Amino acid sequence: MLEIKDLHAYYGPIEALKGINLKVDEGAAVAIIGANGAGKTTLLNSISRMVKTTGSITWNGQDLTVLNATKIAKMGIMHVPSGRHVFPGLTVYENLEVGSVNWHSPLKDGDYTKDLEFIYNLFPRLEERKNQLAWSLSGGEQQMLAVGRALMGRPKILLLDEPSMGLAPVVVNELFEKIDEINQQGMTVLIVEQNSKVALHHSSYAYVIDDGKITMEGPSEELANDDRIVEAYLGKKRG
Amino acid sequence: MLYLQMAITGISMGMLYALMAMGLTLIVKAVGVLNFAHGQLFMLGAYLTWMLTYSLNLPLWGVIVCGIIVFAICGAAYMFSVYWPLRNSSWKVTVTISTLGASIALKEFVQIVWGTIPLTMKPIVNGVFHFGTVYLNYQYIFIILIGGGLMALVYILFEKTFLGKVMQATAQDRYCAELIGIPTIVSIMATYMISMVLSGTGGWLAGPLFLVSSSLGSLAQKAFAGMVLGGFGDVKGAIVGCLLIGMIESFGLIITDAYKDAIVFAVLIIVLVVRPTGIFGEKISEKA
Ligand SMILES: Nc1ncnc2c1ncn2[C@@H]1O[C@H](COP(=O)(O)OP(=O)(O)O)[C@@H](O)[C@H]1O
Ligand SMILES: [Mg+2]
Repeated sequence: MLEIKDLHAYYGPIEALKGINLKVDEGAAVAIIGANGAGKTTLLNSISRMVKTTGSITWNGQDLTVLNATKIAKMGIMHVPSGRHVFPGLTVYENLEVGSVNWHSPLKDGDYTKDLEFIYNLFPRLEERKNQLAWSLSGGEQQMLAVGRALMGRPKILLLDEPSMGLAPVVVNELFEKIDEINQQGMTVLIVEQNSKVALHHSSYAYVIDDGKITMEGPSEELANDDRIVEAYLGKKRG
Repeated sequence: MLYLQMAITGISMGMLYALMAMGLTLIVKAVGVLNFAHGQLFMLGAYLTWMLTYSLNLPLWGVIVCGIIVFAICGAAYMFSVYWPLRNSSWKVTVTISTLGASIALKEFVQIVWGTIPLTMKPIVNGVFHFGTVYLNYQYIFIILIGGGLMALVYILFEKTFLGKVMQATAQDRYCAELIGIPTIVSIMATYMISMVLSGTGGWLAGPLFLVSSSLGSLAQKAFAGMVLGGFGDVKGAIVGCLLIGMIESFGLIITDAYKDAIVFAVLIIVLVVRPTGIFGEKISEKA
């Protein structure tokens, strides 16, 4: 279980997170929705120890704030950044290969035949394009590759930063169905999204973040029907 | 036959530049810094192998084994002193300036330790190789064989091994590399170590041809020229560019002895006017 209490994050004098409290139970799919600049990426960066914070972040009781990014990945906490972060000059296969680096030494290869099989089953297009350089993939394929690469790290929890960003609606649905599939096999998932509709549809519990603070939380279905959410985040008029 | 002799000398000199340029390019790709002290690392390599050979009296194999270890340590030390403390500086050019400082410091350092008088170093095999009317110092052949072999090994390391993929990944997207659990400090350190082994070996090979002195570092100018000629930031381009520079320099002797450096840079400027991205430039824009 991931638990965050009174988390503050700073970029120099700017306070990007102003006291966040949240919980992600094992096996759950939790969404955090919020507008651009609300602090979603900063929140994930806090968990993966890419920004300085105060407050507490624990994973099954263990304090994460004393660890560095490498250790966080070793523990199976995998942050998939937004905006198609793949290694452009490596092939699809090589991108997946390096994804296994957190559970063995960087000096030698591990045995990940089973992991590859699972990922190719989930995203058959990655297998078709395994020898292509990653930059030549479409946006959707790059996002799938980023998720696949995270899965190679045998994660216990996936932190997904705006997986829908810049993708066509059909591709977004396809991707979220895959995320559902991974979640149903027992993976804990924390999704951060501007696309509230999709995120609420594919999660069981959700938080709303605004200006570095959690302003609302509840079961995703309830939030999806809440008037305030409908108006502010789902872009529909009431009634 | 004179042409063959000139070609071999040219390739051999080009190989020395390429040993520097390959390391320079690896560092540029890994951390985005042009290392202006690279020629001084080359020079340091010559002094260190001189010390292993003449102060410690090690046999050839001992010089090679200890040389590689010492170079690797120097590479790591260089990274931790010149790059690491400044890596998060908000002014991007800070690290580059610090490499300029390092080049001065290294030059002073070797003069304090080994004095200002150039040291002589014997070639790996004494004597002259002759074939028909071609007369060549054996050292030129060794430079081509050892330099080429070492570069091939580094190429295989980067392209075929897991560590190589990890180093490439770190160079291509540092943030992402950290998120998947790559200890980026280790992979950047490995890049600096390899870079120093390449340069240091170059210095060792160059020592007998020139003298071991602090001016060896100025050979790096040709390595920079080769990098730009080949297409900045591309490893293959850097190697090809440097070999071409070596050849131009060697054949330039037919025209003029005094202005051979000027010819190299004249060709460089002409090529860049015709093809501003360098010979392999297209590949880089493709990758970006
Ligand atoms: N590297 C940075 N330096 C300074 N301010 C930043 C930096 N990254 C983000 N911020 C600021 O922190 C706030 C939250 O940003 P972010 O977490 O990226 O939001 P989101 O992911 O929800 O769009 C914004 O006001 C943004 O301007
Ligand atoms: Mg964001």
